[in-house]
Amino acid sequence: MTVTRRSAIGLLAATGAAAIAMPNVARGATGNVVVIGGGFGGATAAKYLRLRSPELSVTLIEPAEVFYTCPFSNLYLGGLWEFEAIGQRYDVLASEFGVEVVRDRADDVDVVARTVRLAGGASLAYDALVMSPGIDIRWDGLEGYGESAAGTAPHAWKAGPQTELLRAQLEAMPDGGTFVMVAPDNPFRCPPGPYERASLVANYFKTHKPASKVLILDAKDAFSKQARFTEGWAALYGDMISWVSRSNDGRVIRVDADALEVETEFGQRIRADVLNVIPPQRAGLIAERAGLTNNSGWVPINPATFEAAAAPGVFVVGDATISAPMPKSGFAANAQGKVVAANIVALLEGREPPRPSWLNTCYSLVGPNYGISVVGAYRLVDGAITEVVGSGGVSPVSGGPEFRAREAANTFGWYHAITNDIWGTVW
Amino acid sequence: MLARPSGAQEAVPWWRDVESARTLVGDATPSTEGVWIDLPYLSEDGTSVALGVGVDRPMTQESYVQSLHVYALKNPAPEVADYFFSPLSGRAEIATRIRINETMPIGVIARISTGEVIVAEREILIVTIGCLTNAATYATTDVMRTRVRVPEQFTPGVPGEVTTLINHPMETGLRTTLAGETIPRNIVTRFLASVGFATVFEARFYSSVAVNPYLRFFIVPPQSGELVLRWEEDTGLAAIERRPILVG
Repeated sequence: MTVTRRSAIGLLAATGAAAIAMPNVARGATGNVVVIGGGFGGATAAKYLRLRSPELSVTLIEPAEVFYTCPFSNLYLGGLWEFEAIGQRYDVLASEFGVEVVRDRADDVDVVARTVRLAGGASLAYDALVMSPGIDIRWDGLEGYGESAAGTAPHAWKAGPQTELLRAQLEAMPDGGTFVMVAPDNPFRCPPGPYERASLVANYFKTHKPASKVLILDAKDAFSKQARFTEGWAALYGDMISWVSRSNDGRVIRVDADALEVETEFGQRIRADVLNVIPPQRAGLIAERAGLTNNSGWVPINPATFEAAAAPGVFVVGDATISAPMPKSGFAANAQGKVVAANIVALLEGREPPRPSWLNTCYSLVGPNYGISVVGAYRLVDGAITEVVGSGGVSPVSGGPEFRAREAANTFGWYHAITNDIWGTVW
Repeated sequence: MLARPSGAQEAVPWWRDVESARTLVGDATPSTEGVWIDLPYLSEDGTSVALGVGVDRPMTQESYVQSLHVYALKNPAPEVADYFFSPLSGRAEIATRIRINETMPIGVIARISTGEVIVAEREILIVTIGCLTNAATYATTDVMRTRVRVPEQFTPGVPGEVTTLINHPMETGLRTTLAGETIPRNIVTRFLASVGFATVFEARFYSSVAVNPYLRFFIVPPQSGELVLRWEEDTGLAAIERRPILVG
């Protein structure tokens, strides 16, 4: 597929994806940049580095041949999309944009010697390093929920085999069963994600297993786009979805995966037919191995450049970072990846990094024709990432069915635009 | 970045600027070792931040931690809560949830029965993220409904954890309606735990305790009996829960 630059810009503008002003001329920075992680942040950085400075050698390290996106994995879980529809490949990045894609895992980073050691044994030297390590599960963060428990009660919070397992369990569940989801406390990847998942599982039940229930046991008292989700649940699913807040004893303190049973803080024992535990999370393990995390488990960054606070010269983007008020979202990672690409090119050319701004756009489907959204624009103010007042907001409550259908259509447009921007020919 | 060094460099310790804290310290020369404060590095939602505080000291008749006092130093009123222990507490340690308006230091004062005073502080970053909406943080249902969890059995001499929660809006008195009228203050002010006739633990809450006050603490009951828990509201209304205690 060929997309002209003009039409690509049209596409980006339509979804608000342009994060930073492009320079008029690429000035030809040279050097080796290594990018660890081919998800939303890393693949974006790799592509935009090559776009900005074709003289740069850019190596992207990613173990997966196909990257399955967390965004839209809930559509697969709800039976609306095939699994392969959320699979992204690296062929275009390599063939059209000259990114060298190495299918391996980064096992260690030496930020002093400026080398990355791969699981396959190779060691790569870099002039600049981008890390987009995503999240890892805190396997010691919830009693009873270790790695083996995920084989029975999947988290499905990294798209892949876990997502397929959860879908298979939902398909096998008899009508009249209860899907129990354990939702985590903040911070975690994709704040509205659990509630979109509950919605699309309910949509599947409504059609295929109408006597079934969805029960969300939450470690929080409030959640992302709560009023919009709640309104949508009532409109589409009646009383099929129940949400139990922390203050109503929704916080799960122990999981018995074999028995598909959870125990709440005040001692209720609840049995599930399908149990989805979304556990506490932290930055991807390589961030800790590189010494970039603090005791929160996440990576503090310099907001002006997205360099790790612990290692200037190492740029970190995406869910692994502490970049609030930007949320841990794929769109935020994409915006951060573009800013970091601009920073690195400036650095290698001996220029000041450009003044950054970032966007986040986040759509959720409550049903196939019922979308809701939240948008925010961010700038650097006094050295801190700050939401631009009046720049965005949440789509209105009671927007009416036409408005919700339009937002649902935009949700699909969002996915196609951003995945093309990152893994496709669009730029 | 937002993080800045706190405490050590300041010429005037924080507690000198807070009248109630200054009174607590009195003539003592406070030490700064021994109190731990468990707070997230950053909270994405300042309306309900998990806080743990404790002092690793023995809890005997000869020497025990009498009280812990928590301050949110940039809130409209800095006092968050006071916790009073006894040797029957077993451990001077609590967990709760508090309101924190903005990035600020949280201060703690511990008073030991020997007259010793310990002060501690820790900074927390508050940055609300774009995806969260917190319109409903004051909304609560079944006001004064309580929840309690007590160990099924206590081992003699080993402190056991008691977990409590009461549904309550903890209305600060600082909010106004759209019409500009002040919403009257209405908070839970006092919590008491007793075994037999002895008060083993007591707490006083101010308006910075988060909605639906949550409190975890320890007791080490000497024999089987009944644990009586009492929450008092500023209107005079009270809620009571009774739980059997089995020691053996």
